[in-house]
Amino acid sequence: MKTLLVAEFREGKLREKYSQLIAFAKGLQTETSMFLVGSPTDLPQFSGTLFLADVAKYGEYNPTVHKQLLLDVIAKEQPEMIVFHHSSYGWDLAPRIAVALKAAQISEVIAIEDGVPVIPVCNAKLRRKITSKTAQTVLTLQAGAFGMEEDPTGTPTVIQIDTGVTGKVQCSGYEAAKLEGVDLTKSEIIVSAGRGVGKPENIAIVQALAKALGGDYGASRPVVDAGWVDHDRQVGTTGRTVTPKLYVACGISGAIQHLAGMKKSDFIVAINTDKDAPIGEVADVFVVADLKQFLPILTEKLLAR
Amino acid sequence: MNILICIKQVPDMESKFKINAEKNWYDRTDLAWRMNEYDEYAVEQAVRLKEQVGDADLTVLCIGGDQVKETMKKALAMGCDRGVHIADNDAYKREPIEIASMIAGFAKDKNFDIIFTGMQSQDRGSAQVGVMLAELLAIAAVTTIVSFAFDNGTISVKRELEGGTKALVSATMPVVLTCQLGLNTPRYPTLPNIMKAKKKELLTIAPDVGSSAISQETAAFYFPEKKSGGLVLEGELPDLAEKLIHLLKEKTGVLA
Amino acid sequence: MEFTREIYWNIGHGFTTLAPMYGLLLVALAFFVYGCLKRIKVYRIGQPLDRTDHRGERIKNLLNNVFLQTKVFRVPGSGTAHSMFFWSFFILFIGTTLIVAQADFTDLLFNVKFLKGTFYKLFSVILDLAGLFAILMLGGLLVRRYLIRPEGLITKSDDALMHGLLMAILITGFLIEGARMAVTELGTPLATWSPVGLVMAQILNGLGEAGLRTLHTGLWWFHLLLALVFIAVIPYTKFRHIITTSANSFLADLGPTGKLTSVNLEDETTERFGASALTDLRWKDIFDADACTLCKRCQDRCPAFATGKPLSPMQVVNQIGETAFNNPDANLIDIIGRDAIWACTTCRACQDICPASIEHVSKIVEMRRNLVLMEGEFPGEEVMTAMEQTEVNGNPLGMGYASRGDWAETLGIKSLAEDSEVDVLYFVGCYASFDKRNITVAKSFIALCQAAGVKVGILGKEEKCCGEPMRKMGNEYLYQTLAIEIIETIKGYGVKKIVTTCPHCFNTLAKDYQDFDFAIEVVPHAVFLDQLISSGKLRIKTDTFSCTYHDSCYLGRHNNIYDAPRNLIRAAGGQLSEMAKNRDQAFCCSAGGGRIMAEENIGERINIKRVQMAVATGAEQLLANCPFCLTMFEDGVKGADVEEQLRPKDIAEILAERLEKL
Repeated sequence: MKTLLVAEFREGKLREKYSQLIAFAKGLQTETSMFLVGSPTDLPQFSGTLFLADVAKYGEYNPTVHKQLLLDVIAKEQPEMIVFHHSSYGWDLAPRIAVALKAAQISEVIAIEDGVPVIPVCNAKLRRKITSKTAQTVLTLQAGAFGMEEDPTGTPTVIQIDTGVTGKVQCSGYEAAKLEGVDLTKSEIIVSAGRGVGKPENIAIVQALAKALGGDYGASRPVVDAGWVDHDRQVGTTGRTVTPKLYVACGISGAIQHLAGMKKSDFIVAINTDKDAPIGEVADVFVVADLKQFLPILTEKLLAR
Repeated sequence: MNILICIKQVPDMESKFKINAEKNWYDRTDLAWRMNEYDEYAVEQAVRLKEQVGDADLTVLCIGGDQVKETMKKALAMGCDRGVHIADNDAYKREPIEIASMIAGFAKDKNFDIIFTGMQSQDRGSAQVGVMLAELLAIAAVTTIVSFAFDNGTISVKRELEGGTKALVSATMPVVLTCQLGLNTPRYPTLPNIMKAKKKELLTIAPDVGSSAISQETAAFYFPEKKSGGLVLEGELPDLAEKLIHLLKEKTGVLA
Repeated sequence: MEFTREIYWNIGHGFTTLAPMYGLLLVALAFFVYGCLKRIKVYRIGQPLDRTDHRGERIKNLLNNVFLQTKVFRVPGSGTAHSMFFWSFFILFIGTTLIVAQADFTDLLFNVKFLKGTFYKLFSVILDLAGLFAILMLGGLLVRRYLIRPEGLITKSDDALMHGLLMAILITGFLIEGARMAVTELGTPLATWSPVGLVMAQILNGLGEAGLRTLHTGLWWFHLLLALVFIAVIPYTKFRHIITTSANSFLADLGPTGKLTSVNLEDETTERFGASALTDLRWKDIFDADACTLCKRCQDRCPAFATGKPLSPMQVVNQIGETAFNNPDANLIDIIGRDAIWACTTCRACQDICPASIEHVSKIVEMRRNLVLMEGEFPGEEVMTAMEQTEVNGNPLGMGYASRGDWAETLGIKSLAEDSEVDVLYFVGCYASFDKRNITVAKSFIALCQAAGVKVGILGKEEKCCGEPMRKMGNEYLYQTLAIEIIETIKGYGVKKIVTTCPHCFNTLAKDYQDFDFAIEVVPHAVFLDQLISSGKLRIKTDTFSCTYHDSCYLGRHNNIYDAPRNLIRAAGGQLSEMAKNRDQAFCCSAGGGRIMAEENIGERINIKRVQMAVATGAEQLLANCPFCLTMFEDGVKGADVEEQLRPKDIAEILAERLEKL
């Protein structure tokens, strides 16, 4: 079986997460090659064939052209599996390939069980296993689902590829993520403070954890009421309704209005001394601890990674 | 300007899901239904565009059983001009390429200048239909837009990339745009518009998947093991921290 | 001697007196009528509304509030002074009328005099004392307004004119009397029947008869002129309240208290909903502005105003008035301001205390209706989300509708779909269905019913939000959609009696649903439990504890239920320490008017303020009867940092804790 991995290049740099594709392929133990519209001076650490198109020539986001480059490689290599990240690059390009190949596309694969891809359905409330009925299959992989190759090594055998196709859209540049102000509804990671923080000075330890995780900090209504945290950081139905990938509730018991405002988060960690606090109903992990002692330790360990 | 907006009716994600008898999808009982959230942004953007250019006709399209008309009415109340309902009780079984083919079959001779749709559905979540539709119509597609501007025939959008970065992309018509949450603030339909929506044209047509063949099959449909069902960690604090970091690495993408 | 006096003494009763007198009166009346007509024209900008039904009740209200000053008298101090002044001045008015009646009619035409003998003695002393009282009360009010200057009291040029004119009329009246008595009554037994006049006469006596007569003539005409000016300026000044406020007692909304007017959504020709222009309001809403005396009682009691929000019910009413008379084409919502419109909790404190029968809440809701139904606007995105969640799942919390009855699964309670043969339907409400804290209230209530042998059923997943928060936020369409569905469901089961643990549900089902032909008996749990205890069906151990009790707006002011919950507290052994603001004066918890769905981001938090009032009583428990209040207090005790001191609880929980196990 042959697998073609599609790596990504953005803002002048190879996207490091290609190692997740390698980790995935390793698990399947297939013959693996890689496709990249990138730069010959910034190659992935990968021992295999790399079909490389020059990004200077074809652009970082130029779907019609990238599609053609990729289709040419597929025509030559005939991989059974074409594997993308389930990312803004992957979900944009993968369906174009699937249509062209009349191949099954299976999106956001989180696992392969007995050779069959598993995907989440309905906000990850359900799982679906999908068997492909076509000779070739296009997959996109959920970020982080297959871990990453901790130390990718090797030098690829580069095969330069080209096409004469021109694009339909123009990507003229990037806009960096905004730093000023906070919009928790867009945050991927939120660490929230509840009454359990005890006093306003302790908000700092919640902020520190948020920073260590690369996220934003929020708060429950009583903390905002007490004036310890600004209104725009209030999580709950009377504040912001948030859906981050990770929500860490620190010292929040879980009033209904708070729960309703954050329970759709992908993964919820509750840190509370009271094991019976209602927040436990929605938490994926419940750490029974005093946040005032636990948070600094956690933050330190995260920073030391 | 001729604009198509493709929407889907999905269960509210807070619903109590059960698995259907065929074990290939969720059971329809006890579910609350709503417009796919991503599609609400698509409808809103189309309506805003019409408000901007004045001369535009907005067709909203939805596939499914009769009950999807309720969701279509919301789109009509938000400001779409007409509705096209592809009546298909089996829509839930259709794979993305079939859905895209049905829409393409309808859209191919209608000369839509812009097709707006959500970047994915909340239930199936494949993020494929919009792009596939563009491919079948052989027109451009830009996915995951979080900003849209139209000026003199040129469309400028921002695509949301990982980590909050945005790519600035421009395109000409015809084009398919798939909308990401946060593109705008979908309006709450006003009562006069709800009343008007009841009288707007809502055409029902038969499903036609064209030449698309079955490419995949649901092998199993099940509830995941309770993620951790409130996994409770107790013990020494440094150990707890280690365990938690390990869990975060394992279960979430955020520490990758 | 004959105890009487010569009317028109020193003035003469001939043509030269009567012609200019009645001529001037006609001029004054002409001014008066013209002014009234001009204002009526403005009232008519508003939509039609019939307020002439139930005349018996309306006339009773009118008499009560005008002659007995019932509403005015409720507020000690300024209210007392106003009532006393009114009664005094009214007596003077009657006296003057009697004089005119005798001099210019009965005596002139029929030679009949009735102001004589004992009757005259009484007449004289009563009028004299009334005049004195009026001066004292007016003086008191003058001191209050111009020296004490209570916070928030708006003083305009109208007030100076009113105080000055009335004082001048009263003082000139006594001076005239004094001058007359100095010449005619000093030293006679009659003089003692006019004590104030006697004092004045003694002071003026030194002027000599000629001087007194000149003074008397001048003052008499001056006094007359002042009285006529008073009549003429009524429609042009706040004096108009004598007519408008009185009329408003007749025109008042007769209830049911707190029931909003339903919008006719069936009428497809309607293209405007709610109010943003003056023409959208009813004429009574404009008239209300004229009935307002700026007494600021509403503002003093408004929880939004008290916590620094830009809402004053008084301002809203007057902004409508100013718009009507000065700028009728303006957009009311822009003038009043969205933040003010959204800040209202519909607690009804304003309307309840208003001596002028003004309807504040419906005006605010009408403007909210315009914002929601015509503009799709809400106080914040969180409210729009709550609305959408209610559309999808039938509750503003966005919980899956199918799990609505899950809380009762282990309690031996069935849904009506399973068994509709029940004594009562318990309409649970959204909070007691989904919120862990309030589920304990629902469970307590069920335990009490079961102990009393009452068979209770619920609607389970067929229940939906009653629509109250949405309606109060202006979303009449969503409210009616919910109401119609719920009514159909409940009627389908042939329910005889409904009990609620949420006063918002109660008020809505019992009153608002009447518009949809819904007449099933609805009882709030406090009343239902009180009946169970007093009838001996439910037995509660008396176990002493200290508490204070919060009258929810919707059980209290909206439904006058104050005693039943207190009976329950007593039955359980509660040592009740009342908060200063209790019963009909109770302060809101912040969650009414749909505010439960909204972020409170302006000013102080209302719930914290209320919790602090509870703390001040020194009680250990803060008892509530409403899930919204309970939710706000649970947050409030944390926000006020008094979690350890004060435990919020529902009355049902207190009782369930003391259930006598059989």
